[in-house]
Amino acid sequence: MKEVLKLTNLSIIFGGLVAIDDLNLTVNDNEIVALIGPNGAGKTTCFNLITGIYKPTTGNIALNRQTIVGKRPDEITKLGIARTFQNIRLFSELSVFDNVLIADHLRVNDNVFTATTRLNFKQEKFMREQAEQLLEEQGLIHLKDEKAKNLPYGLQRKLEIARALATKPSLLLLDEPAAGMNPQETMELTSLIDNIRHKYNLSILVIEHHMDLIMNISDRIYVLNFGKLLKTGTPTEIQNDKDVISAYLGE
Amino acid sequence: MNNNVKIKNIRNLIISLILILATFAILSFLDSNSDEMGYAISIIERSLIFAVVAVSMNLVNGFTGLFSLGQAGFMAIGAYVTAIFTIPIAKRPSVYYINGINELIANIEIPIPVALILGGLVAAGFAALIGIPVLRLKSDYLAIATLGFAEIIRAIIASPMMDKITNGSYGLKGIPAFNNIYEVFILSFICISLMVLLINSSYGRAFMAIRENEIAAESVGINLFKMKELSFVISSFFTGVGGGMLAMFMRSIDSKTFQLSLTYDILLIVILGGIGSVSGSILGAFIITAGKELLRFFDEPLTIGGVNIPLFKPGLRMVVFSILLMLIVLFWNKGLMGGHEITYDNIGKFFKNLQSKLRLKQASNNKQTIKER
Repeated sequence: MKEVLKLTNLSIIFGGLVAIDDLNLTVNDNEIVALIGPNGAGKTTCFNLITGIYKPTTGNIALNRQTIVGKRPDEITKLGIARTFQNIRLFSELSVFDNVLIADHLRVNDNVFTATTRLNFKQEKFMREQAEQLLEEQGLIHLKDEKAKNLPYGLQRKLEIARALATKPSLLLLDEPAAGMNPQETMELTSLIDNIRHKYNLSILVIEHHMDLIMNISDRIYVLNFGKLLKTGTPTEIQNDKDVISAYLGE
Repeated sequence: MNNNVKIKNIRNLIISLILILATFAILSFLDSNSDEMGYAISIIERSLIFAVVAVSMNLVNGFTGLFSLGQAGFMAIGAYVTAIFTIPIAKRPSVYYINGINELIANIEIPIPVALILGGLVAAGFAALIGIPVLRLKSDYLAIATLGFAEIIRAIIASPMMDKITNGSYGLKGIPAFNNIYEVFILSFICISLMVLLINSSYGRAFMAIRENEIAAESVGINLFKMKELSFVISSFFTGVGGGMLAMFMRSIDSKTFQLSLTYDILLIVILGGIGSVSGSILGAFIITAGKELLRFFDEPLTIGGVNIPLFKPGLRMVVFSILLMLIVLFWNKGLMGGHEITYDNIGKFFKNLQSKLRLKQASNNKQTIKER
């Protein structure tokens, strides 16, 4: 099986706090891996390390066997890692269409002169078609002219995922995609995640507290506690593990 | 659907043609009566120049979301470069009569359009250099750093060491003027059009993404530093060109022309017009420039029925002007345009909305009268 993402002996220290302590984690091709654990366990920090927002104190992060440590976030996105955020970060004053269109920016080859003089009209047309197609696939096309901030919460989450997909990633990081959603919406999201994995041939690493979602879709689960890896295994193994139950799941 | 778009395009084309013709009719009227209309012409020219600078400030502050206050500095660079290279060689001894002129520049005179572009390029070069350290700062810190830069530029221009180039604190005179209002109009039109084209391109979208959310922009592959630097440099280029145009408009400049208050004037235009709205900045430039002139009668003594009204003294104009601005900001707190643009479609929408609002009001009024019965 092909390893898409591999974290080896990853640690980061903030001041005196060891936020991530010697973490090893792999995500294989076309796999959904979940990262769970109590609040403050270091899950989002882990995402910020992978996407280059923080630099690890020690350890290595490899995407498709190439190290990405020290690269800028935008370079890492270009290499094929896209993410969503725990607190939604859309371009809220811009239209739904523009939100997706901006993410297409990095896949065309133009410069500021060709863009200003409209000599890049072919690339521009290509970008627009791609964005339109993606919105069509995600069922957001009828909202394309709405401002992103005017969408209902659930659709904002969906748009954020669509925007991440527009960068054509090979690995998608979802940070609590179901936060604040009701059971109905969570169910829809579960099928959406499963759907996009097959459709776009993605590997997905997901942080979530909704256990039904996690147990439904993930192939493997990593449990973090106080920055350390507590357990790893399949959903059934994790569900029945004593340590995990006492640290996180509860009786 | 497609047919509708076509009809709309044709309609827009027709309106555009009419507007262009109307503009040139007005300009040619003003130009042919330039003796009587001198005052109006100078207000319009000044407004057009400030519109260029305001739109370029909006590019950085409104569209990229960087709070930069270096405008006066970049304008000074553009103005001085334009002035130094366009003052006719014959006139130079009388301009630099106190300190003499540096031999390197004494005999170089270049055509005005080239000088304006050169002024813009020098300003852009400075922007690129100071952008490297300064653009890593956020909001208010960036404002303070750029403000400091503008003051440094002003101090350097006025310093005795630069006497032979900038004529130090004596300033430069004899800068060639614009021949007619068309030149100002066409230059401003080109500058603003280029910026509008940029704002509506893929790069403009990237700028706006940075304004909306830096972290998200980074996460979709936008190189934050490169884009910020680009926006800053392009904005400074047009600010420099605007400065050069101002030098030609005023015909004589010195370092005091480019004080902090100049930046505030432009900031005022941008905020009044609406942050993130090009048409707002243009509108704001005309309102502020014309407003300052039209309120001039407040400065003159006023006598009604033989009684001298005590408040009407020089200085009252700015008090009234400031109060008006406060009122505008209170009632339109996002600026006049509030981030929208004046387009043919939006004008149509505005009137349609007004119509439906009026209809609703009427309907509710009718209901009330029925209830009262």
